Amino acid sequence: MQVFHDAATQVQCQSIMDWKQSGRPVVGYTCSYTPGEIFHAADILPVRLRGIETDGMEVGDTYFGPFICSFPKCILQLAGKGKFSFLDGAIITPGCDGMRRLDECWRKAGEDFKGIVPDYFYYFDVPHKSEDHGMSWYMDEINALIEGVERHFQVNITMDKISAAICEFNKGRRLLAEIEDLRAKDDVVVSGTDVFAATVAGTVMPREEYTEALTAWVAELKKQITSLSRGKKRVLLIGSVSDEIDLFQLIEDTGKAIIVGENLCFGIRYEGCEIPETGDPLSALASHYLGSSVCPRMYGKYKERLQLLKDRINHSKAEGVIMQNIRFCDLHGAENALFKRDLEAMGIPCLRVEREYGPHIDAGRMKLRINAFLERIDARKNPQRRRA
Amino acid sequence: MTIVAGCDVGSLTSKAVIMQNNRIIGSSIIKSKPRPGDSAEAAFAEALAAAGLAAEQMAYCIGTGYGREKINFVDEVVSEITCHGKGARWMLPTAETVIDIGGQDCKTMKIDKNGNVGRFSANDKCASGTGRFLEVMAKVLNIGIHELGGLSQKARNPVTLASTCTVWAQADIIKFINSGVPLEDIGAGINSAMAARVAILVNAVKPEGDIFMTGGVAKNIGVVATLEKLIGKRIKRARKADPQIAGALGAALIAMEKTS
Repeated sequence: MQVFHDAATQVQCQSIMDWKQSGRPVVGYTCSYTPGEIFHAADILPVRLRGIETDGMEVGDTYFGPFICSFPKCILQLAGKGKFSFLDGAIITPGCDGMRRLDECWRKAGEDFKGIVPDYFYYFDVPHKSEDHGMSWYMDEINALIEGVERHFQVNITMDKISAAICEFNKGRRLLAEIEDLRAKDDVVVSGTDVFAATVAGTVMPREEYTEALTAWVAELKKQITSLSRGKKRVLLIGSVSDEIDLFQLIEDTGKAIIVGENLCFGIRYEGCEIPETGDPLSALASHYLGSSVCPRMYGKYKERLQLLKDRINHSKAEGVIMQNIRFCDLHGAENALFKRDLEAMGIPCLRVEREYGPHIDAGRMKLRINAFLERIDARKNPQRRRA
Repeated sequence: MTIVAGCDVGSLTSKAVIMQNNRIIGSSIIKSKPRPGDSAEAAFAEALAAAGLAAEQMAYCIGTGYGREKINFVDEVVSEITCHGKGARWMLPTAETVIDIGGQDCKTMKIDKNGNVGRFSANDKCASGTGRFLEVMAKVLNIGIHELGGLSQKARNPVTLASTCTVWAQADIIKFINSGVPLEDIGAGINSAMAARVAILVNAVKPEGDIFMTGGVAKNIGVVATLEKLIGKRIKRARKADPQIAGALGAALIAMEKTS
């Protein structure tokens, strides 16, 4: 477990540094639409870029301005401070407008902070629809990405290598799905914090090393019998992009709740779903990364996203949903309002909170709302105990 | 008969309530000290003195408020949102929507017949719409915070503040003072700005049934009257106790449930 926590809480974690030491390249990417398998097939380590460990915002604020989500700003801040000096390349995707702007802001900052823009700096465009024309566009983007990586890093990415990479990534996905089943039991033996750390670790660790560590951990979990869920409220956490272990700890440290599931960009919603291992590997990647996307940036898919949320609530037996959105995140801010309307109508208690990302999280304010929310669920469960 | 206590350590004031047989037998409101633990001790001691009792006689004690984690003598802590719901329902047994304006935040909540909180909404990370806003403005006007509410009734041409940001509004008020605008008109403008901010939160929970207001600002008639106009509904006044002690009262009520 420690290896996952290290990878999830340190930008320059040991696993990345060991890979780098071996002389092989590392490419960072910003969004879940980037198929990591392509880089794995080229013996390049794909590392999802994160904003943890920022201790100021002077670089981020300078190029982005104040009125924008703090997640891409934190990434730029770290880039400006040289924290991503291990990168040989970076892929920027338009996951949202803030992320799209990271492309130009990072390039502009590179004029003032020499050496912070990796040699291979690529804008990977992603359509907002996954119908035929969108899928065909996305396939073109994947092919262009492969060509660009081959040319820049002087590698040959064959379809066989991509198929093998899909198989390797799927091992981890299957293991995460097993953990999801463990969390669905009445007695949950693993904290939401640990599961999230293990999931986030998968976005930065070399895949074989990750699969090995995850296999061992899942085997260990299956032997666990101590229930961590007794007397606690089962909560689902959803909303804006988050790779913050602190956020999970903040909720579980109340001692009143256990997070039994999440629907977050760094979480199991993508990492826990398998990709077909037969047929054309590129089509399989496109169907997974674009076709199965449940991100609110995708047009016309609210009903599917609501259904997915209901399925997750049912599967995890969640008693309430905490919906967070980073300030200025319109995509999740608006979607959370709709989710809350629809889920509350079904009798599922929901809490909406707006917050800043990562180290700027205002713990005191968040704790008050979370505690009140958990007490609300408690009062629903035990109305007789709370008579005025 | 079992005696219980509730202690609410807020950012501006700390409150304590001693209850026996569903009746308040002692209460206190003090200005908060720098350390939450010290505030709690002082408020509790004052309430005990009012009741003529000793701490050892308390069967159960619940802490709440932003400083709740730092109170040593309580058996349990509960969030102030839950406590205000309970306290409000005790003060007004028909209350269904509660507006609580505290020193550093503002909450609105729907409660059921047992005082349990359902939907709630709270302001996000800004002093606008909180007791601190009024405190800062009263200081600029060089009056006591309790005098601010009455100014609305005397105003002839209330000013409009360009911003509800506490810092910018302060600059606005200094400009009005320097221009010779009467104090009443400025005070009314402050109360209106505050009410407008709170009205957004109130509407967010779709107020229904009897509306009740807790917290120190409930005593500001200027804010309450403007708020009533903005939400188009009457806000019921507290008669059974001071609305400022609602959080501590709710804590004591929950303590009573724990011992029953």
